Amino acid sequence: MVRDRPFATYVLAVFVILSLNFILPRLMPGDPLLAIYGEEALLAMSPELKEELVRRFSLDRSLSAQFLAYLAALFRGDLGHSYYFSAPVSRVLLGFLPWTLLLTGVALCLCAALGVVLGIESGARRGRPQDAVLLSSALFLGGFPDFFAGTLLLLFFGVTLGVAPLAGALTPYAGKAGLSLVLDVLHHLTLPLLTLVVVRVGPFYLLTRNTMVTTLGEAFILTARAKGCPDRTVRYRHAGRHSLLPVVTAAGLQYAHLITGALFVEMVFSYPGMGTLLYRALLTRDYPLIQGILLTAALAVLTVNFLLELVYVKVDPRVVRAR
Amino acid sequence: MHVDYWAHVKQSNAGRAGLILVCLLVGVAVLAPVLSPWDPGAYTGAIFSPPGRDHWLGTNDVGQDIWAQLLFGARTSLAVGCGAALLATLLSVLIGGTAGLLGGLYDRFWMRAVDALLVIPPVIPAILVAAYLRPNLAVTVILLAAILWPGEARVVRAQILSLKERAPVAAARTFGAGWGHILVRHLIPELGAVLVAVFVQGVRRAVFLEAGLSFLGIGDPAVESWGRMMQHALRFTYLDVWKWWLLPPGLALSLTLGAFALLGFALETVFHPRLRR
Amino acid sequence: MLEIRNLWVSYGGLPVLRDVSLTLARGESLAVVGESGAGKTTLGLSILGLVEGECRGEILWRGNNLLALSEEELRRLRGREIAMVFQNVETALHPLYAVCDQVAEAMVVHGLGKGEAADRALALLERVGLGPDRARAYPHQLSGGEKQRALLALALANDPEVLVLDEPTASLDPRTKGEIIGLLLEMVKDRVTLVITHDLAAAARLAGQMAVLYAGRLVEAGPAADLMRDPRHPYTRGLLRAYPHLATTKDLQGIPGRMEHGVEGCPFHPRCTQRLEVCAVRVPSPVPAGGRMLACHRGGIVPLLEVRGIAKSFGPFRLLRGVDLTLYEGETLALVGESGSGKTTLARIVMGLTGADEGEILLEGQKIEKRTPDFYARVQMVFQQPGESLSHRLNVLQAVKEPLDVQQRGTEEERLSVVKRVLAEVELPCDDGFLKKYPHQLSGGEVQRVAIARALVLDPKLLIADEPTAALDASVQAKVLKLLLDLQEKRGLAILFITHDLAVARKVSDRVAVMLEGRIVEEGPTWEVLANPEHPLTRSLLTWAGPQLTSAWARSGFRPAHGEFSGPDRPSAGAASSR
Repeated sequence: MVRDRPFATYVLAVFVILSLNFILPRLMPGDPLLAIYGEEALLAMSPELKEELVRRFSLDRSLSAQFLAYLAALFRGDLGHSYYFSAPVSRVLLGFLPWTLLLTGVALCLCAALGVVLGIESGARRGRPQDAVLLSSALFLGGFPDFFAGTLLLLFFGVTLGVAPLAGALTPYAGKAGLSLVLDVLHHLTLPLLTLVVVRVGPFYLLTRNTMVTTLGEAFILTARAKGCPDRTVRYRHAGRHSLLPVVTAAGLQYAHLITGALFVEMVFSYPGMGTLLYRALLTRDYPLIQGILLTAALAVLTVNFLLELVYVKVDPRVVRAR
Repeated sequence: MHVDYWAHVKQSNAGRAGLILVCLLVGVAVLAPVLSPWDPGAYTGAIFSPPGRDHWLGTNDVGQDIWAQLLFGARTSLAVGCGAALLATLLSVLIGGTAGLLGGLYDRFWMRAVDALLVIPPVIPAILVAAYLRPNLAVTVILLAAILWPGEARVVRAQILSLKERAPVAAARTFGAGWGHILVRHLIPELGAVLVAVFVQGVRRAVFLEAGLSFLGIGDPAVESWGRMMQHALRFTYLDVWKWWLLPPGLALSLTLGAFALLGFALETVFHPRLRR
Repeated sequence: MLEIRNLWVSYGGLPVLRDVSLTLARGESLAVVGESGAGKTTLGLSILGLVEGECRGEILWRGNNLLALSEEELRRLRGREIAMVFQNVETALHPLYAVCDQVAEAMVVHGLGKGEAADRALALLERVGLGPDRARAYPHQLSGGEKQRALLALALANDPEVLVLDEPTASLDPRTKGEIIGLLLEMVKDRVTLVITHDLAAAARLAGQMAVLYAGRLVEAGPAADLMRDPRHPYTRGLLRAYPHLATTKDLQGIPGRMEHGVEGCPFHPRCTQRLEVCAVRVPSPVPAGGRMLACHRGGIVPLLEVRGIAKSFGPFRLLRGVDLTLYEGETLALVGESGSGKTTLARIVMGLTGADEGEILLEGQKIEKRTPDFYARVQMVFQQPGESLSHRLNVLQAVKEPLDVQQRGTEEERLSVVKRVLAEVELPCDDGFLKKYPHQLSGGEVQRVAIARALVLDPKLLIADEPTAALDASVQAKVLKLLLDLQEKRGLAILFITHDLAVARKVSDRVAVMLEGRIVEEGPTWEVLANPEHPLTRSLLTWAGPQLTSAWARSGFRPAHGEFSGPDRPSAGAASSR
């Protein structure tokens, strides 16, 4: 596990994505404008708009000039124009992004908390029935892809039992406010959140459990017991704390999977986040929107990773952040 | 320490379960034409017919046999999964292995690159490329391999680094052995077990990515895919048809991913010897 | 007071400690020594109740049997009344918490408030030598010695009555070791302390009492200084022979074989050179013997040869004037003295070649009146001039076979195979060509070895070697001496090594006896006698042996002289100044 990445790595990663975003449409044969915006969009555009776009993105000049124009546009916050929504991509994203952040943020915290606690308890009871049950459940559940698990839950709780809403993050046109608004949000959040947590808690649990097993064999555990520490203290304060380290590192990678999962889950539950947006964009071949979504998702993951690294330095006194 | 990984896998519960499931899967995939009476693409029955004697899992919205689609979907998943994982493993050995052996600037360059690639969530470039290029099966395999290899390369490099320092290699060097001899005689046999573990994980991730791409509608439309079946079926949740159209591919996919996850779990002790009982 | 009674500990059915009984008193430290696998750490852990196996027996403290307490009751005692100082292993301290926090935790866990615990932790760490900034550091920032001090502070946090120290000085450099030992000596005052270690030197400094464990059983226990000076159990002696300390003089010797658990009878008997049949059948229990506990069917190392009050005169000249000597089984006693002091005569008297006027000889406790073939089967001699003791008419085979022929042992073939075996033991060829050679065809070293081989052929327990290497070159001498040490290690041969060369005696013997004018004037463990010689003759011998052996007392102006020694006979208990 990479514990310490220089900042340059993140810069490089962003650069790779941007390059991908840039290259792909231009790899396709034909009119670059067609590739960037797609057939449907082009049909809807007026010739003046087309000319304007060609000029703005330097499409009639060399590749390097185009790339610079592309980067310049990005810095201005101009992610392109969504033909489907008839609005700048950045504005569209801003409407959908917060819901995804809410979903994935809460999911990450819940997965981590639940996974770690279960992992500690399981690791401390290695080989015994509770451990075996938890372990097999984790492996079993981990096999379910998010979209399937989400579908199952939707069909079961939503369609069959009818206790959960079938779509959306809020009850539309209800005009709620304050506490009832919060409760309403939570009500709609439950199933997608549950799906994500159930599917994604596995890796946290497994990692914690396995680290616990190794940690419990270390000398300082014996020291702690000889001090007279009660079992619970040994398990959490001593072994658990030590087992947290790889979890913090892994959380970054897991967040990437969470975002991936969220994309699918939102689609299934019609939750108004980036996932639903992506689905629609793919269906309508709204390329600028697709690019914008993916870029934002990638940036979110990179940011979370970077933040986690800062957390790790606080958590492990042995590590000094390298530049 | 000499550990027989094969025996170890066979002994662990997880390993046995995983192996059985994988064998089942391979059997189904290979025997698909034999096991299904209908061609999956043909319009052979009434639309939305429930499971019956003619069509064991009923038919979909255009009258195709779901059972046949399920079986042929297995082929796709396995083919793409194993193909991508194999290619990715080869790439990872090539790059990760040489980086570990040679060290120096070459190593540092590739590790920077791998680090940067690792931070990008794999799905994103997958969707991006698939959305633009609308790949067929072969290109999908290459695409997935390109996404999977950085993670594997890290593992391979780490293994090579630790093997390089071990006593038998040091001893061989005192006999004057060159890296070629050491590679063949000492490194590759040890690496074998690690590569198997890495391959299994790769298959799992590739199968997942392929299903995800098909679910989004950007997979290869020419082949049967469980993801695509699920995407289609999702449109008709107001009907009863989801029970035999949505659930089977979902369960099949979960089972497949689970099987490789179990195998991977059993093999994980290759990396963490203390977990061995 | 802590009393361990009949403690049995097993892991998964395999016993690690068998029937161990020990008593520790307050203010007293007991060192438990033994090699790895002997069960020392398990003993320490069992006092704290941290053993992950099955325990039987009793550990009595303050009226409670610790083994019978519940986990919660034990937990309350751990770290508060009974504490353990662990070996400074890499991860003995938690890597993620500061040292002062870990020490404070030991107090908090037993009910002290956080603030007060923090203050006391800092004070305690200061006492063990870690100042406030070191105390607030993380373990990876501390050196080995500092970590060991922290572990000590951790154990002392609640001022426990019982302290178990597990290898407290392992992996420390000598200076740090010294400092830690000094610190420990201060800290264990007024406590019941158990020191677990394989380092005998550290054990001797830290503890007043010592107990030796072998394969899970107690073999010897008693005052540490006594055990180190005068080990009575064959294993203890073997252990001391294998561990050099700065004053060690004899070459290192090992113990043949390997430690095995689960042996029938006495656990040491497969490797013991004085075993009897009963040793393979019954387990010896530790019994009190001369101020110690000893577990040996034979009561410890048996005195093989005892010489009591031997006197011999040749005409008016009193050569031997009452010689008292004891030679123990499996040890080398060097008999040194100037030429003409009577050493060879004594040897001849023991062998029965010359009669004594007064006194008696005892072999294995039995008085010897006549020398029977049985006696010669147990006592053999190698003479001064090797070339002369072999008849020039006999070839190697005949010479070496002669004792077997005389005692009529076995068939001709059997005798031949014994000869070959013994020649191999002394590293001589046993092919026919060599067997047919005559003494004048052999080198000095080879001849001496043939003589030794001949002496071994009857499988004796005691070998008297009279200046065996005086006539040999230095390099050959070295080989022959090594050979004798090897034989001692393998066969448990006891050697009475007669020499006037103190330097040789130093390297070869466990004990040395200095003879002057027909009496033994000084006797004791070689390293001790040579480090602190008491009798003037001994001192002179040392000085004459070479300037390197001169020590402070001699540099202070002592001048060895002649004829200065026949002063008034020094009175003492027994015959001489023996220790």
